[in-house]
Formats: sequence, C-alpha cells, structure tokens
Amino acid sequence: MYVGGAGIVSSLGSGLAATEKTLRENRSAIKPLELFSLLHGSPLPVGQAVGLDRPSSLPRTHWLAHLAAEQAMAGTSHPPDAIIIGTTTGGIATTEQLLRDHEDDKAPYRYHGLHTVAHSLAEELKCTGPLLTVSTACSSGVVAIAMAVAMLRSGRAVMVLVGGVDSLSRLTYFGFHSLQLVDRSGCKPLDRDRQGMAVAEGAGMLLLTTVKPENPIALLLGAGLSCDAYHPAAPHPEGQGAFMAMSAALADAGLRPEDIGYINLHGTGTPENDLAESKAVRRLFSVLPPLSSIKGASGHSLAASGAIEAVVSAIAVSRHVLPANTGLQNIDPLLGLTPLVQPVESSQNPARAVLSNSFGFGGNNGSLVLGAPGTFFFTRPCPPQRAGLAIHGYSCLTGAGDIVATMARIQAGESAAGMAESGTISKNLPPQLIRRLKRLPRITLALAVMAHNDAGIESRKPGAVFMGTGWGALSETHDFLTRLTASSEQFPSPTDFVGSVHNAPASQVAIMFGATGPNITASGGDYSFEQALLTADLSLQDSALPALLMAADEGHDTFSPLFDASIAPGAALADGGGAFCLDRKSENAKCCISIPFYRSCEADGVIAALRDSLGGTEELQRRCALVLAGIPAAMSGEGEKQLERFMALAQLTVPVLPYRKFTGEFASASAVATAFAASFLEIGVVPGALAGGSDIILGGGRNTILVLGFGQYVTAMELYRP
Amino acid sequence: MQQLIEELKVKLIDILNLQDVKPEDFDENAQLVGGELGIDSIDVLEMVVMVEKDYGIIINNQEVGEKVFSSLADLAAYIKENTTKASS
Repeated sequence: MYVGGAGIVSSLGSGLAATEKTLRENRSAIKPLELFSLLHGSPLPVGQAVGLDRPSSLPRTHWLAHLAAEQAMAGTSHPPDAIIIGTTTGGIATTEQLLRDHEDDKAPYRYHGLHTVAHSLAEELKCTGPLLTVSTACSSGVVAIAMAVAMLRSGRAVMVLVGGVDSLSRLTYFGFHSLQLVDRSGCKPLDRDRQGMAVAEGAGMLLLTTVKPENPIALLLGAGLSCDAYHPAAPHPEGQGAFMAMSAALADAGLRPEDIGYINLHGTGTPENDLAESKAVRRLFSVLPPLSSIKGASGHSLAASGAIEAVVSAIAVSRHVLPANTGLQNIDPLLGLTPLVQPVESSQNPARAVLSNSFGFGGNNGSLVLGAPGTFFFTRPCPPQRAGLAIHGYSCLTGAGDIVATMARIQAGESAAGMAESGTISKNLPPQLIRRLKRLPRITLALAVMAHNDAGIESRKPGAVFMGTGWGALSETHDFLTRLTASSEQFPSPTDFVGSVHNAPASQVAIMFGATGPNITASGGDYSFEQALLTADLSLQDSALPALLMAADEGHDTFSPLFDASIAPGAALADGGGAFCLDRKSENAKCCISIPFYRSCEADGVIAALRDSLGGTEELQRRCALVLAGIPAAMSGEGEKQLERFMALAQLTVPVLPYRKFTGEFASASAVATAFAASFLEIGVVPGALAGGSDIILGGGRNTILVLGFGQYVTAMELYRP
Repeated sequence: MQQLIEELKVKLIDILNLQDVKPEDFDENAQLVGGELGIDSIDVLEMVVMVEKDYGIIINNQEVGEKVFSSLADLAAYIKENTTKASS
C-alpha cells in the first residue's frame, strides 16, 4: 500500500512539518491539564493537542479527526472508498458535560457513539462506501490500519482513509489515574525511574491506496495483530503477545528482523509495559536496530497513538529522522535496550523499514511495518475471491432467553423482545470469573460459550474473536462517571474504568478460551454486527483456528434512551445478542455467511447496487427464500421505503420479516436476526407463523436467507447452506 | 483489632464482589493477592481507593502496597498503625 497522504494533530503540533520540528527539537509537549478544571489537587501532566483554534460544534474527538483528515486528504479531490477509524472516546467528553448539566433531552447526545466519528467524516468527505470503527483500547489506531491494509488487499477498496483519534476526557484522565498508571512528573519511557504515562489526545490519519500516487510519503508494508489472552489491563509479563504481533507484522510485510532500521516502541512509560515490550523486542531481534518511544514527548493519545506513530514512522522513513526517546534520563538496565537519546539525522544511512508497536487493554496488540518509498515492492498476489465464512455453531440471547427459548417464541410468530434475564446471562459462567463483570461482558461470555458448545468442537478452541457492540459497556461507563461525580472526583473506580472500554467483553472471551489471535471489537451503531463480520471476513485465514464472531448490547435505564435514537424515553428496553463459531471450511457447516454489501443510503442508486451485489433479479428469485429486514425505529420512514424499493427492483415476492419487531430495538439486533436465519437453515424450514402462510421448506437451490440492514446505511448479509 | 478485621472482611466481600464468600470463611491470614480468592492488581487498586475513602490513608507506592495487601490481617494492622499515628 502507498501512503498517499497523512495528517496529524497532537500535542507535538498540527501537521507533518510541525510534528517533525518538535521531534527534531527533542522537546516534550507534556504539561499540566488545562482542558477542564478539577475539584481537587493540582492538574496532572497530559499531552493536550494544539491547533484546534477554529471553533467547531462537533465534540472534540470528532474535531480532531476532521482536522487530521483534512490534512491527509489535501492532495486528492476524490472521496475515499471507505473510512476506517480507531477510537475509544467518541463523544464522551461532550456526554460528560451534558450529564453534569443534567441534560435529559437526547438530541445533544447524538454524537456519543464511537461510530459517529467516521459518520461525520464520511459526510464531510462525501464518502458513501463502507465505514468501520474499531475500538481495541490503545491499539485501536493500529488495528484500524491493519483492517485498511486487509480491505485494500481484498480489492473491496482502492483508497481508504484510516486513522485513530481520541480526545482528553474525564473518563480517561481519572481512569488512568485510578489505575496509578500516571507519572506525576511527566513521562519518561524506558527510564529506571519511570512511573507511568501521560494521558494525551490527538488524531493521526493516513490515506492508503493501492494505486501509486505521484509522490507517496511512505509504504505501508504489513500489519500483525495478536491478543495476550492474559489479563484485562496488564500486559503479558514476558511480552508474548507483543512478540507475536511484531512477528506477524514482519511476516505480513515479507521482511526479516534485520530489514528493520528503526523501532517505534509502544513505550508508554509504565513499569510493566516497557519491561514486557523490551523482552519481546530482544527475543525477536538478535541485533537491535535504533529504537525509541516518542511518548515522553507526546504523551499517550490512546486510540490515536498507533495512527499518530504510523505518521511519525512515515516521517522517519521519508524525512530521514529517527526520533529520540524524549524524557529519558537514566536508562533502565533491566530492559537491555539502548534507546536513542537524541534525534538521529539518518540521511546517510536511512532506515528503509520501520516497525511501530501499539498495545492496549485486554492484551490487544498490533504492529505495523512502514517502508521508504521506492525501497520495497509489493509482491503479494491478490488473494482469491473467498466464499463466505462457515458457521459451525451459533447462539443468541434475548428477552425470551437462550436460542432454544428464543426460537420457541419465533416459531410461534411471537416476539422475543425484552431484557435478557440476569440468571440466563450468568448461567454456565464460573462465579469467580465474572464477579467483576457487569451486564455486557456477561452477555458476551454467555453467548461465546453457547456458540462454541453448539459447534461441538470442544477440543478446538477459537483463536480469534470478532465482536460488535453499538454502545459498549454502558453499566461500567455509567457507574464510573457516577462514582466520579458522587465522590467529588476523588474516588473513581479502577474496576469500572477497565471494564468501560469497548473491547473489555471480547478480551474476557479471549482470556476464557486462550484465544491469542486477532481480537477486534467494532462499534458501528446499528451496523455493529455487520462491521464485526466485515473484520472477520478481512482477517480470518483459510488455515486458522475457528473464530468467534459476536455482537451484543446491554439495555441501560439511563443511557440507552439517551444515546440510541431508536429507543424512546420510557420505552421498555430490549437487549441481548448473537454469537457464531466459524471458520473457512464449509464441510459439515450448518450454514455459511457473507457480507456482500455495505454502503451509505446517500450513494447513487444504492438499492439497485444492493440488488446487483446479491446476484441480480434472476439469481435472487431463484435462491432467496426469506428476507429479514432491519429497520431501526429512528429511521422507519426512510428504511421502509428502501425495503419496498429493494423488493420491487429485485421483483421478490418472498416473505419479509421486520426482525426488530421480534428482537426489540437495540444496536446489535441484527446478530440475533442472523441467529434466527442460521436456525431456519439448520432445521430447513421457515415456520409458517412467520411466513404468513404455510411453512417454507428450504432446499432445492432455494436456500438463501438475506439479513438486510436499512436506514442510514444499507447492508446485506447472506446466509446459505453450503 | 478483631473488630477492624471483621469490618474489613465485609467491606472486601462487598467491593470486590467475592461471590460465595462469607465473612466467617474469610481467613485473615491467608495470602490475599494471587491467592484462592482470585484477587489481582485491579482489586488491589479498588482496595487502595477504599482504604483512602474510608480510613483516610493513601497508598501510592507499589512496595508499600505489596506489604499492606499481603493478607487481610496485614491490611488491618497497617490501617490501625496509620490511624493511630494520625490521631496521636
């Protein structure tokens, strides 16, 4: 891939030139917090972004993303084919203020969701292609870039805008403080006396393309992901996951350790991270290349950091400067590393390839390899067009209960909507394991266990986890902010903070199964399950261990009606989700699943394109037995028109099931609908009570069920018998 | 002292949500962190918050923390010692 454009806004400066200048000066931009006032004590050192001078009505995270995207897109007049964003904060900084003001009108909360960052960028840039929002804590930026690389290789896109962004917020400021991970004297990674990180903010954006631009800034050569499957917050003490991610990135790039001319370390400055990372680096590199962490200069901008450091790596290879390990005074001899104490002008001996690390909560690790333009060639052939993913087991949770209880209702034509019962979501889970877990991680773990059991492959544990959630862990987020306020900012809960990250549930699943492969959480509002399926399809190799694909959301009395546009104030809540144990081997599979379509409703001729992506009118008439249509209540007018138009254009007369009537309104309802479809395909019958007449027998070529999403985005998932 | 120990048992069961553990089963001399109860570093931080909130004692040093939380009896002793110091 070529890096055709890049943008960066951080404490180091706004733009590539300003950032390079700060790095060359070896200057720390970390200083006491100014963004919001505190009730107690002196402000801790943070990395506050500069360059946000123009006013904006958008939340700070969104605005940072827009500014960096504007820089990255400066050289092109075309909208990107897709936008992929890594973020953990979304609109939380704005939400915190609204909650403090006791705002109970839902309209001002419309930017709360993580997915709204990518949505607002798509609107601005007139991008009508797929959007993907990944949230894997501090590795989000790198995971987003890894997904962009996979999407470009798959041929789904030619040009992708990808990046990471997070703003300072009370949640992250007090959260990391409650974990005692903040160094009160600034941040000095790899130092003998390091005491932690400096929470920071910023945005990094890359315009990646498979078509060679006139002046590419750098090459994106490869990416590698892994999961420690060890602990919700602490890294694996031997850096096992870090080693795997770096090795995978090198293999993906087709390079050997000796090809790497500089390592941009994750180097947060916490005692544990730096020690674990140093062990992994020494294990992989017998001869250590020059290396440093820039976080002593920039602070740790969480989801943005991986993308910001990808931009810094691009600067390193294109501008021939290797940044220093700013803030370092006394090298920690236990690390066995010799970080750069001064920036190195490398034009005499330029680094041809650079490795950049990012690791996050939940043991979510990612590494990238970037190269100097003109140094490496892409020899990788395009992967063959893959069939869908093969489903071997599935589960769901609804207000009715597990898959058996749910399907009993559905077979009778009755709704299963409601809040999943607390006994059901904790059943079969060891009490000691779940004592700290609130509603969403329990739902997720229960779903995962049930789907894996249903696959009947006890001895083959899943290796990768792909999770979708519209709103993440609402209980933990709510309880953290409530206790923060109630204690006058003195006693925030470390447990709730660790649990509040969107990827906490998926990391619990990884720990339970020992799943050390890619662990990706996507958050795409009403299309979160679709986004998770997209990440699974982009990541899962033919030879890989089985994977778990899941989506879940929790109903929360306070937050659900405020955040989710489809949930009316005072309405009865519904929640739950669905999970699927799958691989790429369709023999003996219960059914297969693919996602052929994901586009904005604003795209020209979107419904005709949807029909064509599914094989066209004749093909649809021959194969399609049932349409499960997802129309979020907030988009009912527009969504019903889209559905009607699709049925007319495809000349389809098969039954249509508006599945939210049966699941209730919640963001990941399409995962439950997908479990319905898998169940119908397994038993071979769509019950007459749903089909509006007699039973529909699936078979004889008529064996495809469509799960369509309508509203702001138009999506199609196909389930079929192999 | 015994009263403080009993008080702490109830508090820890509550804040750490130690399911199926009753105060009478809680061995105050057993290894607290990394022992049978599955208490880890996040729980330690939660206990640090509790000790500061309820007893006004700040623990922000890892070495001290390791000593203080080695058992519930040690925690009680540390609280008692530091409360006495503060009031004397």
